[in-house]
Amino acid sequence: MLQLFERIGWFVGLVLLQVLVLSHVHIYGYATPFLYIFFILILNSGIDRNILLLWAFAIGLCVDIFCNTPGMHAAAITLVAFLREPILKGVAMKEMEEEFEPRISTMGFSSYLKYTFLCTLIFCSVIEVIDTFSFSDLKELGLKIITDTLITMICIFCVEAILRRNKSEERF
Amino acid sequence: MRNLLDFLIKYKHWLLFIFLEVISFVLLFRFNGYQGSVYFTSANAVTGKVYQMANNLTGYFHLKTINSDLVQHNTELSIQLEHLRDAYKKLTADTTIIEQMKQEALMDCSLIKANVINNSTTHTNNFITIDKGEEDGVQKEMGVVSGSGVVGIVYQTSAHYAVIIPVLNSKSSISCKIRQSDYFGFLKWSGGSPEFAFIKDMPRHSVFEVGDTIVTSGHSTIFPSGVLVGTVDEIGDSNDGLSYSIRVRLFTDFARLNEVRVIVKSNIEEQLELEESVINKEE
Repeated sequence: MLQLFERIGWFVGLVLLQVLVLSHVHIYGYATPFLYIFFILILNSGIDRNILLLWAFAIGLCVDIFCNTPGMHAAAITLVAFLREPILKGVAMKEMEEEFEPRISTMGFSSYLKYTFLCTLIFCSVIEVIDTFSFSDLKELGLKIITDTLITMICIFCVEAILRRNKSEERF
Repeated sequence: MRNLLDFLIKYKHWLLFIFLEVISFVLLFRFNGYQGSVYFTSANAVTGKVYQMANNLTGYFHLKTINSDLVQHNTELSIQLEHLRDAYKKLTADTTIIEQMKQEALMDCSLIKANVINNSTTHTNNFITIDKGEEDGVQKEMGVVSGSGVVGIVYQTSAHYAVIIPVLNSKSSISCKIRQSDYFGFLKWSGGSPEFAFIKDMPRHSVFEVGDTIVTSGHSTIFPSGVLVGTVDEIGDSNDGLSYSIRVRLFTDFARLNEVRVIVKSNIEEQLELEESVINKEE
């Protein structure tokens, strides 16, 4: 029950942060952070795939409704949620039988980096391809995807660092 | 049959995934032509409220630049007023024309003041949300202007909010003319810098040069003629070579749009029709 409330808190917080602040960030017209995919990335690894897909669709649609792009974010994040399990299995170094929250502390830095990078790259590619809806200017499209991915990764690792510091302070 | 059921149960997440993706894409493709989809845009009540609250906070950050803009505009207008006063003095001999012109200007349109509560400039299809809706008199297909020039056309309305298709949207097309020579064409935008838009069908024989002012033509019922649009920035050839393609530097800075006005054009025939129907009912 407590976990559900925590999850809803993350959901509302990340959607508001995304639509009120991050969606308006465009560094030189490129590099928009999509931090809200963090919500999908850190859900428990043992979660039922159907429930994961529904969470992803819900958060995507919420962001869509605020950004006037119905379907765009929902399509992209649902794809990421669908591919999350194979990616997670692929990058995890050791065989992990029990459930875990995919974080630096549980996965180790390099696996976590690979995992978040792949998910973010897939997400940003889908978003930008749907948004421009043409392959006529591949250089522009590629640059947008790469800058979006980079700045989203930076944001994710910033959040990781903040959460980690809070946790270590609690311990002492 | 049993095998089929087993198969479906085993791969039910595949089915759910495909189902959700189909919903997403249906939303994505139907939104553009689908007039009833106002609930899925930022014009619905909840999102409108959230944006309005955020805008109450962030609105203060732009006050300084807006103020300097207003001062500049004010001085321009007072200079213009001085010129007009001179012209008025010359024309006062023929007062009937002036009276007629005044009445026409008043009859033609009124303005509704609105605040921008959501805005984007970096997509290929940008939208603007304002905090005035049907209850304030805003309706679909009305023109929207800012202090510095043309903004766009109202696309969706709810009770208290409205979504605008600005010039910076590939679907936008506004009839414009060159102020000095009256040659007209359609203003379009196809992504890229939010400072520039294009007129691609200016006839070969038209006369203009870089720096000329472009205003709305008044050929449509949406904008009255003479609303400022931008200046000619670069003259090139259109793709087929049959006409000029003009790059227009827009007067409106869409990146920091805050206050806009919705133009309500009142129609005399419509009013008469309405009044007539009321009289008929009473009889």
